[in-house]
Amino acid sequence: MFTLMKEQTVVDVKGIRFGGQPGENPTVLFGTVFYGREFKVLDGPAFARARELIAAQEKISSQTAVPGILDVYVKDEKYVEQEIDAVLAATDRPFAIDSSDAHVRAKTLEYLSKVGALDRVIYNSLNLGLTLEELDALRKHTPEAAIVLGYNPRDMGVDGRVDMLVTGAGMLSVPGKGLLEVAKDSGIEKLLLDTGATPFGSMSAETLRAIPVFKSQFGLPTGCSIHNTLESWGWMKDLRKTDDEAYRCADAAANSMVPMYCGDFIVYGPVSSCGRIFPSIAFADKLMAEGAVDYFGLKVSEKHPYHALK
Amino acid sequence: MSGSLYPWGGHFVPGNPKACVAVVTLSEELALPSDKVALYGGMKTENLGVEKVVANVVSNPNIRFLIVCGTEVRGHRSGDSLINLKRNGIDGNNRVIGAKSAIPFIENLPREAIERFQSQVEVVDLIDIADAYTVVKAIDDCARKNPGSFGQPLFVEQVPHDRVVAVFHSDFSLHSRIDVDLYGVISHAPEAG
Repeated sequence: MFTLMKEQTVVDVKGIRFGGQPGENPTVLFGTVFYGREFKVLDGPAFARARELIAAQEKISSQTAVPGILDVYVKDEKYVEQEIDAVLAATDRPFAIDSSDAHVRAKTLEYLSKVGALDRVIYNSLNLGLTLEELDALRKHTPEAAIVLGYNPRDMGVDGRVDMLVTGAGMLSVPGKGLLEVAKDSGIEKLLLDTGATPFGSMSAETLRAIPVFKSQFGLPTGCSIHNTLESWGWMKDLRKTDDEAYRCADAAANSMVPMYCGDFIVYGPVSSCGRIFPSIAFADKLMAEGAVDYFGLKVSEKHPYHALK
Repeated sequence: MSGSLYPWGGHFVPGNPKACVAVVTLSEELALPSDKVALYGGMKTENLGVEKVVANVVSNPNIRFLIVCGTEVRGHRSGDSLINLKRNGIDGNNRVIGAKSAIPFIENLPREAIERFQSQVEVVDLIDIADAYTVVKAIDDCARKNPGSFGQPLFVEQVPHDRVVAVFHSDFSLHSRIDVDLYGVISHAPEAG
């Protein structure tokens, strides 16, 4: 459907390929684990449930040829070892680590270094809340790749999001640098860009508009977590109480918009929703690939719903 | 839910506008007695969510207590951001001082609104408490200490942000930084000027 004049970097993390021209590689889906009410208490049943969900995602990922990997949410420093050990035992794929607390992210890197798994790790994310402790941990225990978040609360337009990557918008703890430079200074060579989803009323559509802009300016794989926009929609919250099917349909539809706007990856929300997300993305990926082949003569990668799903 | 009394809207239940207590339930869905609270509801994010709560509180001067209860929204720690905003305010970069959340930046509220919020309400920290009985007891405790209205309402307008007027060069416009032709070819746009 679209092609970019800017050369596109394809980032390969342990065989999972991100980016390229729209339609070239399938959208990579990150399902978040250890997040949500069923993981409020991390006990034996919770870890058993996590294993079940990880297997479910990998099964539907194989069925659809849409790559699926984990976004491992680490709530607290005390759970780092348990969570990482559980993930390493359950999957051979690369995975992202995710926490709202920079200190926890730093501790997670330290543990991943200790167990020799940094080459499978995508750091989620380098953002304007970065701390000096975090930067130090990134330099000492450098992950294979990182997601760099364009969220800029001072200017939620596309230009503001670009500014966060290029200049830091005057808001970073490392003055005079943008997040891209900070990432490179930390020794992270493989970068993915997240446009930073915002809710309705806060320039939400810029989340999607920024995707082709980022790809055109930086040539890097770009995606977002559009389910956050849906989840924060008040009307939908009310509807969901009585009609969860409506929410599930909207969730699949919202995520499908990302590849249609040239997105390369999606952090799609709880891994438990993989059953509805993967087929929707397979449809969007196949359509985008067919459009690029028919019109631009694109060569679609071998492992792709375009070839796999007849 | 929005209305003229709470112009910034949000996902909350309006109750008795003369009550002196508002309750932020963070990730919980609690049913609280509407006659005893001015408004109550969840709060997801440590930046935009906090901004809405502050704007909606200062627009009703009868609100003198803000109870923050329930389990934190994972990934956001919005309750921590709200409580630290009340205690410490923001630094020169608009970051909530002392907040542990990832992105606790307050960009859309004028400082006047934050100062007013800090003066108008007492915050009751009940984070991690999600049983309605304890929360209602706290509401009753606050009501007994009601110091009366803070005075005039403050209706906050969002801090305006400068926007560059887009200049488009292509037939199909998506953004000023890129040209998209009618066949779907995306190229970097010339600098606007």
